Amino acid sequence: MATDRRVMGLFPDEKQTAEVIEAMSAYPWQIDRVHSPLPSHRISTALKVKKSPVGWFTLAGGILGFFTGFALAAYTALVWKLIVWGKPIIAWIPFVIVGFEFTILFSVFGNVLGLLIFGGLPDYKGLEEYDPRCSGEHFGIVATCTEGEQDQVIEFFRNKGGEARVFE
Amino acid sequence: MSESPQLTYTEIDRTVLDTLSPPSGGYWLIVMVLILGVLAGVACWVYQIFIGIGAGGQNIPVAWGTYLINFVFWVGIAHSGTLISAILYLFRAGWRNPIARAAETMTVFAVSIAGLFPFIHLGRVWVVYYMLPYPNQRYLWPNFQSPLVFDMVAISTYLTVSTLFWYTGMLPDLAVVRDRATGFRRKVFTVISLGWTGKHEQWRHYTRGYLFFAALATPLVISVHSVVSWDFALGIVPGWHSTIFAPYFVAGAIHSGLAMVLTLLIPLRKLFHYERIVTMRILEAVAKTIIFTGLIVGYAYTVEYFLAWYSHNGVEMEAFRWRALGDYSLEFWIMVVCNSIIPLLFFFKKIRTSIPWLFGISILINIGMWYERFVIIIGGVAHGFIPHAWGLYWPSGIEWGIMIGSFSLFFLFFVLFVKHLPSISMTEMKETLDHGGGHGN
Repeated sequence: MATDRRVMGLFPDEKQTAEVIEAMSAYPWQIDRVHSPLPSHRISTALKVKKSPVGWFTLAGGILGFFTGFALAAYTALVWKLIVWGKPIIAWIPFVIVGFEFTILFSVFGNVLGLLIFGGLPDYKGLEEYDPRCSGEHFGIVATCTEGEQDQVIEFFRNKGGEARVFE
Repeated sequence: MSESPQLTYTEIDRTVLDTLSPPSGGYWLIVMVLILGVLAGVACWVYQIFIGIGAGGQNIPVAWGTYLINFVFWVGIAHSGTLISAILYLFRAGWRNPIARAAETMTVFAVSIAGLFPFIHLGRVWVVYYMLPYPNQRYLWPNFQSPLVFDMVAISTYLTVSTLFWYTGMLPDLAVVRDRATGFRRKVFTVISLGWTGKHEQWRHYTRGYLFFAALATPLVISVHSVVSWDFALGIVPGWHSTIFAPYFVAGAIHSGLAMVLTLLIPLRKLFHYERIVTMRILEAVAKTIIFTGLIVGYAYTVEYFLAWYSHNGVEMEAFRWRALGDYSLEFWIMVVCNSIIPLLFFFKKIRTSIPWLFGISILINIGMWYERFVIIIGGVAHGFIPHAWGLYWPSGIEWGIMIGSFSLFFLFFVLFVKHLPSISMTEMKETLDHGGGHGN
């Protein structure tokens, strides 16, 4: 059966929202998403979300950055040789400093890229099914259900002390 | 937090969003005065471009004057923003939350202004592209063994990272403004908030990404001012060639930055009625941190003298004798008193909980830290190895003009920021109410 209805339950309290999420596991409706004005461990625990993989992008950026920075410094030293007293052209200590700065820079680029890709940003379409109160003082649970189950979901949210909104 | 149990999510949003209401005539007057200051600085720079770098007071032996002093000063100011937003975040210090946004903003603006000074100091600014590492017919490449090139890499990395950190941290708050705005402002905030809706999937990646941001910004901030210190320490100039420079500069940078946080926050708190958000306990925490950094700075001043004496190097000993008793002794004692003695007044609870004292001492520390850079930079090259090459320096009118321009530009940016973007992190304040921590703690 097509689950083409999305019902949002709006709650004014984080703890209450987490309890509603846990209570929903006994019902057939799926939780599509939960909007909150702040990051919440309680909600994450109730939703059993896994750790974000953003860090892999950060790590990849860092490794790429170190070698880019070091290689840039080494390459420029090789093409424009400044030989002083027979000291090595590729000088480890100063070039590691350049490599370090590039490590941080590229790690941050990787971090931002990971954040944008995994977080699905920019996401202007997401604003079509959204309640602005969720950035202020409310928490919104969006459940997907069939047309026939819609009234039950609305009733469920109201019984739990929330307010319900339907997105079609 | 215990000092503001009566605050609610709605009150936090309302207090911060009220600051974005159309400004009064007084606000525009301040903006106009600051614009005039910026124009004065621009006029002086343009004059210098036409006349030549000699329009400034720098000359042999003091070839590094206020342009370098201001560069180091502004980089230093930037550092406490990262301390507050990243290092204190990693330490889970909940008191940072109400002031983190203002401090991060200060970082971005201060680094941008610091970045202008190498351009100003170049003289022939139109050949700046010579410094960029790219294949060219001249076969000229920047020398990556030079601390000046480390510095270019470090400062551009710092500016990029701190700007991205600032913007990423602001995303949820931009969504708050968007959701309560109308008309054109709503359109602008819709675009810049990237369609943020606070979905759990967004928060999941955001909190992780923010943690990595903080973890990366922490070593970066330490490296940046260490690299700045090596601009001096790697030169064999008496008074510069010292291994303590990196930690000394980092501590000094945080010291000056914390003072600037107080200088900016105290008027902001009063004008925008942030008393219930930026509580006295938070200002007190900043003051206590200033005692700590002031003690480190005072210790560094003492150790410099100890090292000069212990080295038995006549040139070093003379450089430090002259620093305290010579031509720039007034500047030296301003530095010592303002940076290491006056901050000790914060040991008294009455003083660190008094707004006039906090504000006054923060300004004195800012002055003292500017003079610290004066004493180190000018004092080093003015009184080097060879007595017949000694010389004195005082900034020219052009340099003072450019300095006034830089301060005006910094405050102009900040004044524009506080009226157009949320100057307190609403999201982190809400987290403080519930958990006493920052994003995802």
